[in-house]
Amino acid sequence: MEFKHKILDNGLTIIGEVNLKAQSASVGFFVRSGARDEIPAVSGVSHFLEHMMFKGTESLTALEVNEAFDRLGAQFNAFTSEENTVYYAAVLPEYLEQVSDLWMQLMRPSLRNDDFEMEKNVILEEIAMYKDLPQFEVMDEGKMLHFGQHPCGNSVLGTNASITALSATQMRDYFALRYAPDNMVLACCGHFDFDNLCRLADKKCSSWKPAKAQRTRSSFMGTFARKSFKNPNLARQHLCLLSPTVSMQDPRRYAASLLSTIIGDSTGSRYHWALVDPALAELAVMQCDSMDGAGVYYSYICCDPNNTEKVLESLNSLYADIKNNGVSENELRTARNKVLSAMTLKCEKPMGRLVNLGFNWVYNAEYQSVTQEIEQVKSVSLEDISGLIEEFGLDKYTLFTLGPKEIS
Amino acid sequence: MSKLDIHKLQNGMVILGERIDDVRSVSFHFLLPAGSSLMPDGCCGAGTVISDWLFRGAGDRDSRELSDALDGLGIHRHTSVSAKHLDLSGSMEAGSLSDALKLYADVILRPKLNADQFEFSRQQTINELHGLDDDPREKVMLCLAEQFYPDPYGRPAMGKLPELQSLTTPKTATIVKDCFHPSQMIFSICGHYDFDAVCRQMETLFDGGSEFKPPVITPKHKGNSYLHLPGEGAQVHIGLMTEVPPIGSGCYYELMAAVSILSGSMSSRLFTEVREKRGLCYAVGARYRTLKEYAGISCYAGTTPDKAQETFNVIVEQFNQLRMGITDDEMQRAKVGLKTSLIMQCESTNSRSGGIAGDYCLLGHVRSLEEIRDKIAAMKIDDITTTLQENPFEEYTVVTIGPKEITI
Repeated sequence: MEFKHKILDNGLTIIGEVNLKAQSASVGFFVRSGARDEIPAVSGVSHFLEHMMFKGTESLTALEVNEAFDRLGAQFNAFTSEENTVYYAAVLPEYLEQVSDLWMQLMRPSLRNDDFEMEKNVILEEIAMYKDLPQFEVMDEGKMLHFGQHPCGNSVLGTNASITALSATQMRDYFALRYAPDNMVLACCGHFDFDNLCRLADKKCSSWKPAKAQRTRSSFMGTFARKSFKNPNLARQHLCLLSPTVSMQDPRRYAASLLSTIIGDSTGSRYHWALVDPALAELAVMQCDSMDGAGVYYSYICCDPNNTEKVLESLNSLYADIKNNGVSENELRTARNKVLSAMTLKCEKPMGRLVNLGFNWVYNAEYQSVTQEIEQVKSVSLEDISGLIEEFGLDKYTLFTLGPKEIS
Repeated sequence: MSKLDIHKLQNGMVILGERIDDVRSVSFHFLLPAGSSLMPDGCCGAGTVISDWLFRGAGDRDSRELSDALDGLGIHRHTSVSAKHLDLSGSMEAGSLSDALKLYADVILRPKLNADQFEFSRQQTINELHGLDDDPREKVMLCLAEQFYPDPYGRPAMGKLPELQSLTTPKTATIVKDCFHPSQMIFSICGHYDFDAVCRQMETLFDGGSEFKPPVITPKHKGNSYLHLPGEGAQVHIGLMTEVPPIGSGCYYELMAAVSILSGSMSSRLFTEVREKRGLCYAVGARYRTLKEYAGISCYAGTTPDKAQETFNVIVEQFNQLRMGITDDEMQRAKVGLKTSLIMQCESTNSRSGGIAGDYCLLGHVRSLEEIRDKIAAMKIDDITTTLQENPFEEYTVVTIGPKEITI
């Protein structure tokens, strides 16, 4: 593996991890653009824009774009989060330059009015789809409740009202600011030639104008509010608990991630033994989401509505126990093994590796090889974990519940 | 490049392997003859209960010790129940393989099957069954399979409430005893391993036991051609399926290419006609689903109630138009798409080990990558249209969940 790095004069960063033994290659544009960068009047625009980026350029229609990707056999897609929009494709090595060329063209889209109006229907259908997925809705509502007025609580999808009211002009203005080259990273992994990629980027992207986009970055501990929404049409009670943790800039993020594995992995975790093993809940997991300047632990629990109080009692005593007694060396060792083996499996595929490579650069402008990442995980000690528990606690949390029962 | 290994233990258990150099992981699948269609009448869902119960103590370890031992090796484990098999799989760093196999031998051959743990396993399965009501996308496709396949092939793995409630510890333990014959098991492995060492260890762990003839399944009636389940969600969830020849019929590649043209990518017909041109829904997709005896092409779409009828009509129109002709460009895109997904699937040791086990069950042999690649390359448009004309989509089984019925 060899890491390469270049910045074009207009600020576009190009990074690559070359592995000539790989069977495929992956390429992606990482754009610092997400729900937290939106003002209320354009809520949902980052995600809507992600859809519009596939609608073509001055010289390509939407259908031609899709056909071009498919001719290359590309496995391609995009996703939008609170703070990033990522466009990616995995291809066989012989198609890497062509698929990169295509992405470079698409990063300067035409954003036509008729495409915008048609795609609005699809976005509204997507919002309706997630309304029928309570496991998603509870997390989205929980996040908004936890972050209150902080921009990290902004909805990625927006609402029916905000999407209906959004105009193509508002989207174009947002695009001009956020999709500037100094706000983007082009990342590539696997079997490819870095110099060729740079030559292509120089030709296709050097005319893009920088815009010095800013982001308000402030740490936030959470509102610790409680809210319950009753929906008699649901069969199960869905719970989302949120508590603060470290940001992506904090070197303790590896320890924070291990702590969430100890508490809320799908097997053998504290949640598993307290809730899933005795069949109090069918699903109980915790995830660590370290973000730009802030961090949050998300827990999702799905249970029989009649078990809700018991589940909350178990959680409270579990958090109290962790606060008072910490976690054991054995728990840490097990979590470490799980995380390391997940990393090994994920990084065997260029597509799996691309996301880590890109985000490490987006957040910290640093390269971490797989070996370095493994070392970071191995070096986490019990003291590191205890320090996190002491600083952030877990017993203080924001709670949102959704289901047939209203929880007092 | 990969190499295919095959070995049969004296008792008939099949060991399949594909070694991949340059990876550090290894993955395996145990296919046990305890799929949902093999459960005794009145025991629908027993396979899922068993898949949980097996891991609640085995050999000389209780539930927690077993879980700690598996997690301590960093094994990413997964269980699933298909029509024919209970599938226990694991992925890990290659150095943990030998210890992992010992643990799985305990789980499969020496599970404790304690009565008190049975209640938790059964309750958990009941919880998950209730949880399906909050996931209409998943539920509609499970109901579709039940209606489409002649009973018992479509029986839902998660079971039916009255039958789960009537399951007892002795009855379920008897099913384990009756089904778990090593002679009928298939073991597949992929990644970094030494095949001779694996075979020696498997002989020590699994050889023995007598010949066993599994029960012959006599398929009975099919379900309704249209079933509507009222629901108060935001969307109507539509599942439809039409019969085509199964994998062993000799037209597998033609059917895969046909499905790819219909739905394999963003330039496919369904995506273009349903989503891009009409904005009818966010999620629409078709796939080829095959058992050894029966197969169909299924399709899912979720859309708001007022658009449900049009969505259904456009999908069926696209299905029916497929046999009228395919363009050269569509053919080329389908071929490169199939080839790419094949090679990328082989970069994941878990999906490839599942793939070789699946091949063996469905075809009686494992197709090499070269064989698949050659078959894809040799395919012509006429092969696909002839297959579709000889097997026209005449009848559709349809299930909808949501606030509005459609007309079939």
